[in-house]
Formats: sequence, C-alpha cells, structure tokens
Amino acid sequence: MRISIVVALFAVTLSPLSAMADTVELRLKKLEEAVLRQAEIIDRQQKTIEEMKLMLENGKTAEVRTSVDSSAKNSGFFGGSLMNNPYISLILDAKAQVSNLKNSALEGRGIPGFTSEGSGLRNGFNVDAAELLIFAPVDPYFNLYTNIPVNGDGAVLEEAYFVTTSLPQGFQLKGGRFKSNASRLNSQHPHAWDFAELPLAYRSFLGPEALGGENGVQLTWMPSLPVYTLLGVEALQGANPLLFGDDSNWGPHAFSAFARLSFDTGEESTLYLSPWAMFGKTRTSAVLAADETTGNSFDLRGDSRLYGLEAVWKWNSGPHKLSLQGEYLYLDQRGDLGETDPAGAMVKIEPLKRHQGGAYLQAAYHFNRFGVGARYDRMEIFADTFERSGAKQSFGGKPWRISAMTEYDFTEFSRIRAQFNHDRSDRDNRVNNEGILQLTFTIGAHGAHPF
Amino acid sequence: MLRIIVALFALVLFTAPADAAVKVVATLPWIGSLAKEIGKDRVTVTTLVKTSQDPHSIEARPSMIAAVRRADLLIYNGLDLEVGYLPILMESARNPAINPGNAGNLNCSVYVDPLEKPATASRENGDVHPLGNPHYHLSPANIKKMAIGIGERLAKVDQANAGFYRANTARFVAQVDHKMKEWKGRKLQGKRFVAQHRFFEYLAADFGFRIVGYLEEKPGIPPSSAHIQALVSSMSGHRPDAILSTEYHDRTISGFVSSKTGVKSVIVPHDVGANGSRDWFSLMDSVIKSLE
Repeated sequence: MRISIVVALFAVTLSPLSAMADTVELRLKKLEEAVLRQAEIIDRQQKTIEEMKLMLENGKTAEVRTSVDSSAKNSGFFGGSLMNNPYISLILDAKAQVSNLKNSALEGRGIPGFTSEGSGLRNGFNVDAAELLIFAPVDPYFNLYTNIPVNGDGAVLEEAYFVTTSLPQGFQLKGGRFKSNASRLNSQHPHAWDFAELPLAYRSFLGPEALGGENGVQLTWMPSLPVYTLLGVEALQGANPLLFGDDSNWGPHAFSAFARLSFDTGEESTLYLSPWAMFGKTRTSAVLAADETTGNSFDLRGDSRLYGLEAVWKWNSGPHKLSLQGEYLYLDQRGDLGETDPAGAMVKIEPLKRHQGGAYLQAAYHFNRFGVGARYDRMEIFADTFERSGAKQSFGGKPWRISAMTEYDFTEFSRIRAQFNHDRSDRDNRVNNEGILQLTFTIGAHGAHPF
Repeated sequence: MLRIIVALFALVLFTAPADAAVKVVATLPWIGSLAKEIGKDRVTVTTLVKTSQDPHSIEARPSMIAAVRRADLLIYNGLDLEVGYLPILMESARNPAINPGNAGNLNCSVYVDPLEKPATASRENGDVHPLGNPHYHLSPANIKKMAIGIGERLAKVDQANAGFYRANTARFVAQVDHKMKEWKGRKLQGKRFVAQHRFFEYLAADFGFRIVGYLEEKPGIPPSSAHIQALVSSMSGHRPDAILSTEYHDRTISGFVSSKTGVKSVIVPHDVGANGSRDWFSLMDSVIKSLE
C-alpha cells in the first residue's frame, strides 16, 4: 500500500507542472500522511493487545487490580456498598387495633399483682413511632449506632452507643445508651418481634417496651470455641420505671449478667440457649394501681433480681422455616411499700416480698413469604407469692393470654401481619379480645437482624 | 457460675491451637473450593452456605459467628450478595483480623469488572444489586483472577508458605487455560436463552451466547402474570434454545413457560456441589454440558 502511494507520488512529481497537478500532489501528500497515522495507531493497538495477553497469561491483571483502591467496592460493616458515612434507615411500624374494651378500660388495664401499666395500644390507628437509625464505623476502632424513634410528641434518643471493633481475644466494649443485651428479646427492635407485642412476662416485669434504652456500659467476651459462646456483664443507670426507676442520690444501680450458647443440631437447624439475670435497686410506683376505694397510691423501694432462661430452636430448609421458642422469667423482689393518700401524706409503710414467675411458648412457621404463628403466655406457673407485711395477697385467677398471627412479607422490607389475642391478663376482670393489624416498612441501609 | 467461667477459661487455654493451618472461612461453596485448591493441607476451610441454599436468603446462625470468630481469613463474594448475613457476622465475631481493610478480609469482587451496574439503585426495581451483578463465578476469565487474588492473600496471611500458595495458584490458572481450550470448542456461541434470574451474564460474555429474556421481571420479586404472558408470546416467536434456572429456584414458573412454549427448561448447576461436582472444574464441565 505504502509502496503504491510512493510510486504514484513519483509519477506525479515527474509529470509536467501545472496548477491542476499541484493540487493532486497536495491531496496525495495529505492522503499519505493520513495512512501513515492510521498505520501507527494500528501498530500501537496491536502492541497493547499483545501486552494484555501477556499480562493475562502471567496473571498480572489481578495483581494490577490488587493495587487499585478497593475501598470503593468493599461491603464492609453493615453491608454498605460505597463509602456512605453514616448509613441511614427509617422504619415505620403502624398498627390498627380493635378490641371489645373501650380505650379508657385498655389504658388502665394492668396485670394485677405485677404492674399497673397498660399495653399502650388504643382502638383504631396507632403509630408508635418512625424509628430513625443512623450508624457507621467511627474509625478502625469503634462503630457508632443510634436509634431515634420520632412520634407526635417529638424525637427520643432511644439508643446511641459505641461498640469497639478491635479489642483482642474476643472482647468487646459497648457504652452510651442502649437496650440491654441480657435478654435477646429486650435488645430486639419492636419491628423484629415475631408478634405485635412482647410476651406477658416481659410486660409484667419490665413494662410494655421491656427495659428500653438504658445509659450504661457493657463488656462481652466471646471465647474462641467451636461452640458459639458469649458471656457479658452490664452496669446500667436503671431508669426503667417498673423494675428499677430513677434514683435521685446514686449513679448506676442496675446490673446484668448473661450467657449465650448456640450450636447446630443438624445441617439445617440451630439450638440457642441463654440464661440471664438483671438485678439492682428498685424505686417504682407502677407495681400496684391506686386503691379504688381510698384513692391511695403505692410506691416501692427495694431490691430486685430478675432471672430469665430462654431457649430457641430454628429449622430452616429452603422455603420452609420453623422456629420454636420459649422463655421463663422469675422475679425475686423485696422492699418497703409506701402508701400515700391522694393529698400526698404517707399513710403507712409495710414490707413487701414477692417471688413471681411467668413464661411463654411460641411456634412460627414460614413458607416462602407466608408465615403463621401461635403463642401462649402464662404467669404464676409455680407457687408464686406476693406478701405484704408477711400476709399473702391473692389477686384472683392466673393471668394468661393466647395469640395467633399470620403474616406476609411482600419483600424483606415490607410486611403485613394480622394478629388475634385472647387476653386474660387482667385476671377475673373483663377479657380483652383484640385484633391487631400491623404494617412494617423499612427504607434505607437497614442491615440484617441477629439470630 | 464462677466455676463455669473458670472451667471455660481453662477450656480456652488448654485447647489453644497447636495446629498451624490457616483457618479460612468462605461464604460460598465455590470460594471454599478455590481456597482448598490453593491452600491444600496448609488451610482448613469452613464454608458457611450449603449448595442447596439460595445465596440471597441466608440467615446468620450463631455457629457461623463462632466460625468467623476463629478465622484467620474470611473470603467472600462481595457486590452485596452476602449483605443479608455477612455484615452481622463481621460485627458480632469480635475478630479484628477479619475486619474490613485488614489482611484477613478478602472481598473477591475487587478483582471483577462488574456487569449490569445500575445507573440508579432503587428498591422499587426489586432486589437490585447497586454494585452490579454479583454472580460472576461461572466465568473462566473471572475465576483466574479470583485464584490469583486468593493465592496472593494466603501468601500474605501465611508468609512462610507463600511459595507453596503461588505455585498452586499457577497450576490452577494453567489448568483453567487448558480447560478453556476444550470448553471453547463446545458450541455455545450464538445460542439464545431465557433465564430465571440474572445468573449467567458473565458466562454469556465469556462464551458468546445471549440471554434474551428473564422469567423474573424484577430481581427477587415474583413475576406478574402479564409479564409471563408477554414472555410466552415473544418466546413463541423467537424460540430461544432453553430456559435456564437453578436448583434453588422455584420451578413452577419455568415449568409453566416451558409447557406453553415447548422450549425446554434446564437446571444449570449453580455452585460447587450441585450435580455432584467436586470442584470448580467439574462444576463448569456440567454447566457447559447443561447449556449444550
């Protein structure tokens, strides 16, 4: 090709000079230059192809790529994709409730002998809160998590805590404001519960939202064992209004210790066991409701020890999932019960001693996106006592409740659940038959839930 | 209580590892198989996901946390495929060695140029992977890069055996090249398939066939009947070679479409262990056989 151009060029130079030939010469020269340029480009490309082939053979590509900053593709903590700091997610938990009892009756409907607090649900539409979760690694040493439920009354700092990520030997320190991990159910967010509300035993001893966010510190240790083992202790301020209560004089007055054990009982099934304890100083006015005839209210000051034992078995085989779960809670509480008349004058102080227990058992089955479940709650299973001035108190028939639910997950980010409760927690008083429709939505970077 | 704690301490102290093998935790079977291929007897490999499980919907089990707690090297697919369980395992394991950014944390996807990276990632489009298609392991071009990446990382974590890992890597890469010549001879070029899920894109790129439609309208969301109707009528026109799905997918839809169109439905082995495959090579052999 190049030769023919040169020959042509030669012929042109030899030809007689004329204006016409001049332009032909110019055009040919330009053409030649263009062809040379293209040849050069092809040469270069051929070289690159050969180089790439060589690199691929020697496995250089991967090595070259190793040196490329890989942080942009790191999934990292929380499964975040790109460098998003912080991760944000919002969870809406909306409920509609219908009961045979009026709102006024539901509000003051406690569990006699345990708590005077109601369940918190009202007939009609309920939006407890939209939970705003903000979380991110702080640096290579800490992760920070916050949980801010926002509702009509404003925003609350339910949780805001750091967790260490680089302590050796399986130790981890957590501090700030957090939901105690002593009990697994206590640390779960409400939208992760298998039923619309907590078991009766939790409401009886800790209130409708369990212990809730507590200021404090936690130390956990996971020894390097073939079996999942986690041991932990916590020191908490003790603000829960039912089990502990604010103390105007002293600092942390609530403590917990817990152990978690889990092993697989087969390729597709897992057993989980956890004994736990919470103990501390109690100052509460939520144990006994005000006396209806005298209008006198009751305050308790004393010491409490709450023990729990939880067992969970999960079987997960393709589209089928089955979980069986049960827990027994036992309270040992003693102290002074102060009785105050409506004018605020102390009527009397008498010793109070109670040993009470309660348990629940539940089963849930899921097939693909569908789920069904049932739960049975019962208080006072064994010989429970509630003694005032050494005299045993009787509150009537034992509180119990039975619940059934069915749910459908549109995706892992949206769920609709219908639940029915036959609730006899108010002992011999009126039964509460209630239906709850619950809708849960998650947007943003919400990560996976722990076991 | 105290006695239990003392006993536990003793157990931990006296069962301190005498065996020096590198403890590798791999999320998926093909990753475990690759690590074993390169590490041989110098590594012990724990694989978290079973072949029969859908890798998208794995739940974290405490036994997985216990495995990650003891790991020297955690190797995973990345591109958010394990987003449902791996982050919680990393957060819970209290093992700084495998924290992101440390040598014990290997995200294999850093060696891949992801396909189908969406311009916008919104969940209204279903279970989209914002970083691109994460199913890149059925690709000889990618697996060579994975092998080199894993080999180099093992060499870094266990420097005493660096030469051993590099030699095994070189052998593996050479074997891929050798097998590739055989696979290239098979007639996949120009074939057209309809797939259940976006699982075969890298394989298609390597072998020159095309995925012309999907049973899933949006990833991870059951298809609407209108979508299936439209697919059936278009498939009756252009007659693709087969409908591809995997053993963990619900086969009722592929069966329905197959019966309506007469296009055969093929279960493609999706990971090591499927169809009795022992390693990545026998997996690829049966993948290619199933596509012929």
